[in-house]
Amino acid sequence: MDELELLKKDWKKQDTNYPKLSYDQIYKMLWKQSSSIVKWIFVISLIEFLFWGVLNIFFADNEYWKEMERLHLKDFTIAMYVINYLITIYFIYRFYINYRRISSTDDAITLMDNILKTRKTVKYYIGYILISTGIITLVYSYFMIYDHAHTEGVSEVSKYTFETLDWVKFIGIGLIILTLLLGVIWLFYRLIYGILLKKLYRNYKELKKLEM
Amino acid sequence: MEKELEHQFVTNLERDQNIAHKICRIYTNDQASHNDLFQEITIQLWKAYPKFRGDAKFSTWMYRVALNTAITLYRKKKRGIQTQDYDTVHFRIKAEEYNDETEQQLKLLYNAVKELNDIDKALVFLYLEDKNYREISETLGISEVNARVKMNRVKTKLKHILNP
Repeated sequence: MDELELLKKDWKKQDTNYPKLSYDQIYKMLWKQSSSIVKWIFVISLIEFLFWGVLNIFFADNEYWKEMERLHLKDFTIAMYVINYLITIYFIYRFYINYRRISSTDDAITLMDNILKTRKTVKYYIGYILISTGIITLVYSYFMIYDHAHTEGVSEVSKYTFETLDWVKFIGIGLIILTLLLGVIWLFYRLIYGILLKKLYRNYKELKKLEM
Repeated sequence: MEKELEHQFVTNLERDQNIAHKICRIYTNDQASHNDLFQEITIQLWKAYPKFRGDAKFSTWMYRVALNTAITLYRKKKRGIQTQDYDTVHFRIKAEEYNDETEQQLKLLYNAVKELNDIDKALVFLYLEDKNYREISETLGISEVNARVKMNRVKTKLKHILNP
């Protein structure tokens, strides 16, 4: 293509037309803050790990433990906590390993692959949190309903006893709230990472398209 | 030791800074963005510098890190409306031996390149820098055959932009 050859010829001619930064100007740049997406993914991921970790501790106050004891769920809860922390530590470890693997000296596809891997680790972690929270909530609800049905004292004191329909309403409203909450969390993530990774996904697809 | 490394790095980059400026020229449209991208490239190069071993040339290594920064790592900052056509103001200096027609054609060509997507821009850039298909494939992480295929498509795309 002769046009590209023409461009190449001119491109070479322009070599002397670029800005020329001095040694000192370049030196100063070394200590400026990076605004690369990798840095942002790292920061956001740490906040995510912290957020869910703190939330866990925050909810588990003394009253919570007393209630668990009353429901004979204390051992179960402690076991859940231990397992949960082990899994979290594993996720943080994987995240760190993936993060370390990101290197701008790789070829473009490998670099993008590695960035997406760190992102995926956090995504799986959030998925794990949501699913395990769902399961645990179900287990606890079951025990609470069971407990309620068998505690005569409670039903005597409260004049109001739950009928089947009330239970359906109760569970229905619970499910709606849960769905809404999950929806909001999902949207939130779509937003953050959608903005952050838009360009990367686009270029990744463009390169991958050929390899198929 | 650290001071020695810094000095080595800055000396290298000062010598080969044109590579980064050329990438900024292809990927940005105004002076402020040019400076931003140059800054980010410098940071990424410096961060990766401990991994740079002397067995390759600094410039060869720099192509890869700088392009990766432009394609993958760099996030554009939001900017106000640009009033100047920076490409014509800052870079294109009319060479004496060109006639008006060639001059016009070149301007259209540069504008056409600006319309390409990030990956196509990378291919054009590497082509303009006289990189062979092996180097292009190694930089982008695609096979040599695919680099050829892609390059041909970019040429067709440019033709379409020039003669719609």
